[in-house]
Amino acid sequence: MTRCAKCAALAREVEDFDARIHDAAMVPVPEALADRVLLRHKVREPARFGGFGFGVWALAASLIIALGAVIQLYRADSGNEERVATSAAVGEGHAAIAAISYVLDHEPQLLKDNVSGDPAVMKSALTRLGLNLPARGTTVRYLGKCPVPSGEGEHLVLQTPFGQVTLILVPEQSLGPRVVVAYRDRTAVVNPLRSGSYIVVTDSFKNVKQIEKMLM
Amino acid sequence: MLIETKKSKFESLVRGYSGELYRYAYWLCRERFLAEDLVQETFTRAWQSWDGLRDDKAAKSWLYTILRNEHARLFERKRIEIDETQELDEVVDSGSMSAYESFEMRDAIEALPKSYREPLLLQVLGGFSCSEIAGTMSISEGAVMTRLTRARLALRKLTGRAIERKEKVR
Repeated sequence: MTRCAKCAALAREVEDFDARIHDAAMVPVPEALADRVLLRHKVREPARFGGFGFGVWALAASLIIALGAVIQLYRADSGNEERVATSAAVGEGHAAIAAISYVLDHEPQLLKDNVSGDPAVMKSALTRLGLNLPARGTTVRYLGKCPVPSGEGEHLVLQTPFGQVTLILVPEQSLGPRVVVAYRDRTAVVNPLRSGSYIVVTDSFKNVKQIEKMLM
Repeated sequence: MLIETKKSKFESLVRGYSGELYRYAYWLCRERFLAEDLVQETFTRAWQSWDGLRDDKAAKSWLYTILRNEHARLFERKRIEIDETQELDEVVDSGSMSAYESFEMRDAIEALPKSYREPLLLQVLGGFSCSEIAGTMSISEGAVMTRLTRARLALRKLTGRAIERKEKVR
């Protein structure tokens, strides 16, 4: 091949052409993709079984699931009576209104920029609040920080079976009592927990409830 | 200890292959959010069926196969079917006008029918051999070689026409 000039030129041409195919196929990979994949698994990583047999843990898990189902049913019943407030009722400075405004005014650009925050911080915030991000059917589109009335919150944009959802985690800070607010075609819930608060912003009250069920 | 080993191997796979799997997914569905969903689902499935991975060396082709099946399951609702009847001339003639624009090679790859594009991308992105591609696509090694040759010929014709067109414009 090296002795024949024509063969060498042909080989070079074939190599160049393959390199062009390779370069064209190498589309850009979204930043922090691996981190987002790992985040979904880390928040659901299995607990250690310790010295007990698996059966004991399975039984305990079944009981917890049954108890959870009863609590969810109770919540679903009581949730139907929950009222949706307007911006006039809660005031323009309320965390729910600020969250909806942030989502509508800044989130599209954040998603476009495709820059992601630290999954470890997000995982820690979810754990501290006792929330659960399902591994199946949910994709983390964005991780970052966002302003909340008391400082900064952890900002997640999720693609879920119920559409695109914004979840703002505010560990160790209270944003006041639970309230559901409708504003600018979005509905947000601000919910206090024992170790902080969270805000969910989505397109309807029904979806807010679905997302909360999913996270609990 | 076992769980730790499993977790650490899983993390290595995610860090090692999520990028190239994303590219493969992108070329399957040609939509970046769907491609990311596919990668997420692939690793979820891989984690769930981890015990099915007996040989660590096979992990890469295992992940590609999961992704390919996930794509078929989620977005096509059926296993990927290859259109055996499409001929090379049809490929070139049916090429869209965008194939003549500045990113002609990328557009030309897009213009290839799935039966040619898929083995080509498995080879180019995944670095798989003809025999591995044959295993992933459940076709014979000979068919893979034929499709790879035809894919390259089609790309040459498509990109050649783009150059001809540019020269005519000048």
